[in-house]
Amino acid sequence: GKWKNKERVLIFSSRGISFRTRHLMQDLRTLMPHSKADTKMDRKDQLFVINEVCEMKNCNKCIFFEAKKKQDLYMWLSNTPQGPSAKFLVQNVHTLAELKMTGNCLRGSRPLLSFDPMFDQEPHYALLKELFIQIFSTPQYHPKSQPFVDHVFTFSITDERIWFRNYQIIEEDASLVEIGPRFVLNLIKIFQGSFGGPTLYENPHYQSPNMHRRLIRLSVAAKFREKQQVKEVQKIKQKGTKVLVEEDPTEVVFETPAEEKPVEIQLVKPESKSIVKDKKKLRKIQRKKQKKLFRTEG
Amino acid sequence: QDGLKRCLAEFRQQLTWVERLDVTLGPVPDPVSQGASTSDAVDPENDFQREMSFYRQAQAAVLEALPRLHKLQVLTRRPDDYFAEMAKSDQQMQKIRQKLKSKQEAMERSEKAKQLRAMRKYGKKVQVEVLQRRQKEKKNMLNAVKKYQKGLSDKLDFLDEEQTSSQGNKKGNASQRTKKGPNAKRRYKNQKFGFGGKKKGSKWNTKESFNDVSSFQSKVAHNKGPGKGGRGGKGGKKALNKRPGKRARQKMKNRAR
Repeated sequence: GKWKNKERVLIFSSRGISFRTRHLMQDLRTLMPHSKADTKMDRKDQLFVINEVCEMKNCNKCIFFEAKKKQDLYMWLSNTPQGPSAKFLVQNVHTLAELKMTGNCLRGSRPLLSFDPMFDQEPHYALLKELFIQIFSTPQYHPKSQPFVDHVFTFSITDERIWFRNYQIIEEDASLVEIGPRFVLNLIKIFQGSFGGPTLYENPHYQSPNMHRRLIRLSVAAKFREKQQVKEVQKIKQKGTKVLVEEDPTEVVFETPAEEKPVEIQLVKPESKSIVKDKKKLRKIQRKKQKKLFRTEG
Repeated sequence: QDGLKRCLAEFRQQLTWVERLDVTLGPVPDPVSQGASTSDAVDPENDFQREMSFYRQAQAAVLEALPRLHKLQVLTRRPDDYFAEMAKSDQQMQKIRQKLKSKQEAMERSEKAKQLRAMRKYGKKVQVEVLQRRQKEKKNMLNAVKKYQKGLSDKLDFLDEEQTSSQGNKKGNASQRTKKGPNAKRRYKNQKFGFGGKKKGSKWNTKESFNDVSSFQSKVAHNKGPGKGGRGGKGGKKALNKRPGKRARQKMKNRAR
């Protein structure tokens, strides 16, 4: 057949990304035969420069990875000439090379895309779904693609985040093995233009990683401060001046000394009561004594 | 919101399903469902539950999509002779296989060690039991031999070990009833306290034993009684009750052996 759907995706990143991000990028490039690679972009340039880069490479979609502080990874998905774009925070990245992911698929085979039903319920999710479909699905009869459909991408929404998984289809009865990679996308904003333009949607549940770290530090600091305060209060209580109570002269009025008892001197030792721990033993002792007596008598 | 919808309308591409291959479905219902409350909201913290829900969603998608693809004559199964480059290199797959194998081996080793320990324990128990059984048999054998020596049982059954105990009991009961021998109380006491009798405290000359005159039979002592008169008439009846002398008894013993 003829290749009609001319989608090309540019996958590249900024400088300062970690090894994990680099591997993720490479994995996406192997999984998507309709993708193109590019060199790292300098951070000095503005984001709309990316549009020009895409045009030069003749791509109409773009996946751009941005790393900040060597810790946080942001991902931009965009439809380059004029379409919408979205920025995500990426977490929990696992690459293809992890040994726990045992599946494998043909390089360049077309994926099946599976979406959570919640994607149809909200308008922003519906937009994202369309974006995902256009970016991730390999066009039919693409020269680098394989004609078989043997793996499936899963996009699920849990805990206000989008979870991505990739499974290999082993049998026709839908037994699956995970191939990887996997990552979690936390939506930040959706823009009307590509890498710019008015904001269409802002995620209220999103908390920037800086905020998150700040909150953790604040909570630790708050705990420490509370401890300090408690200590100070205790110190004040201890040091606190003790109030002297004056002697009350009327207190002595009701005192009556007790009567004196006569002094008793004991001359005979009182009979000691034996502590019986074991009745049986006592009986045994008694029997022995009796026998002794009996013998001496008889 | 309206902006979103407008944008979506502009952006949406009108492609045939074959191009897109997307399926929007909920997960396949779990056959081991744990009640309605948990099935609605998957707890994101519970890793296993979460991954299972993703897995089932993928399964549902596959189950729906594959028939559709077959109808559209798109191939889904890779033929066995079709070799092409895979997403993961062969080296990688080899590494994965090695890891799985090593894990399995480790598990098997630990299983074997556990089993070995259990076997050893059991073996020890069995050994102890066998030893005890042997002791018991030896004791029984010695008792049987002593009985035979004393002349109470004239069968040499104890040599015949092939005879099962149940069989022996049946035969023994029939002959024991006809035998005279000591009465049941005496037999029971012999069996309980051993045939030699209570050896340790048997011959003390204490005050009690001196004063104990229970074994005194005046008729025997004065050589009187029905034996004297009856001996002439019947003969031999009282002689059985009268205990023969030491020499006579020894002779009897030697003769019986």
